[in-house]
Amino acid sequence: MQNITSTAVAPVSSTISKPLQIAGTFLLGLVILYAAGFVNTSAVHNAAHDMRHSQGFPCH
Amino acid sequence: MLFRRLVLYALLVGAVAGLVLTAVQFWQVIPIIQSAEVYEGEVAPPIQGGADHDHAGHDHEHDANAWTPQDGLERTGYTLLSNVLTAAGLGLVLLAAMVTAARSSTTTRIDWRHGLLWGASGYAVFWLSPALGLPPEIPGAAAASLEARQLWWLFAVVCSAAGLAGFAFGKSPWRWASLVLIVIPHLVGAPHPEVAMFADKPPEAAAELEKLARQFYGATAVANAVFWLVLGLTSTWAVRRIVMSNAIHD
Repeated sequence: MQNITSTAVAPVSSTISKPLQIAGTFLLGLVILYAAGFVNTSAVHNAAHDMRHSQGFPCH
Repeated sequence: MLFRRLVLYALLVGAVAGLVLTAVQFWQVIPIIQSAEVYEGEVAPPIQGGADHDHAGHDHEHDANAWTPQDGLERTGYTLLSNVLTAAGLGLVLLAAMVTAARSSTTTRIDWRHGLLWGASGYAVFWLSPALGLPPEIPGAAAASLEARQLWWLFAVVCSAAGLAGFAFGKSPWRWASLVLIVIPHLVGAPHPEVAMFADKPPEAAAELEKLARQFYGATAVANAVFWLVLGLTSTWAVRRIVMSNAIHD
């Protein structure tokens, strides 16, 4: 009985492999960079304007 | 969970590097943007018969009624937020790359020299390579279409990242050949407008703007070098902590 309960409680993190978690981190980074540097909606462009110019992202 | 750790450290690293970047920008980058904006609305009187004068190189205009942060604290706040977000995004990409390298490395030693190398590589990939073809622009400069420039920017970043990674981590004796990748975007050439950068401005304004544009190139080169130095070193600190907690291996 005790054996059954102890095997049932596996840590959640082990269900997703480490390489997949690292790939997820990488992709999340790309999504954030796209939003901050590439999205061309006027409001986003205006908010990020000075950062885009200084960081060399194409702007305007 | 490794993912949560990486995200938390990337936010921390991004906050530090973004704050430092904002400070450096305020000292030497933002004043140039503000000086250039004084001239941004200025347009040379149309040449005879030039009633249908088009905005040189500006095939993309933003809605003038769209929300814009007010100059002063609000604008500074949004610049800080954008800097921290961008730094966190770059931090996520950098940490993912560094942890991948640490997983396949035989040594567990990671020190500040790794930080300098990763920082220098980030600078080369995300700033230097695109900036060699498309120098950071000051407001008001004519440029090729936004989509073409964004595409080329991406092309330059992907090629230099792949070239450096192949050289650094490749196993073949021919791995140095991957450095050729770095040169390809520059052989293809970045998109540039057909007109001079400030062709639509009165001559004296154009001369002043050209001077500002040169200063801007230098100022952003320094600001980004400081930024990548901080990002590389703080990311190394984060990876050391993650490796020490033994979280990177299955």
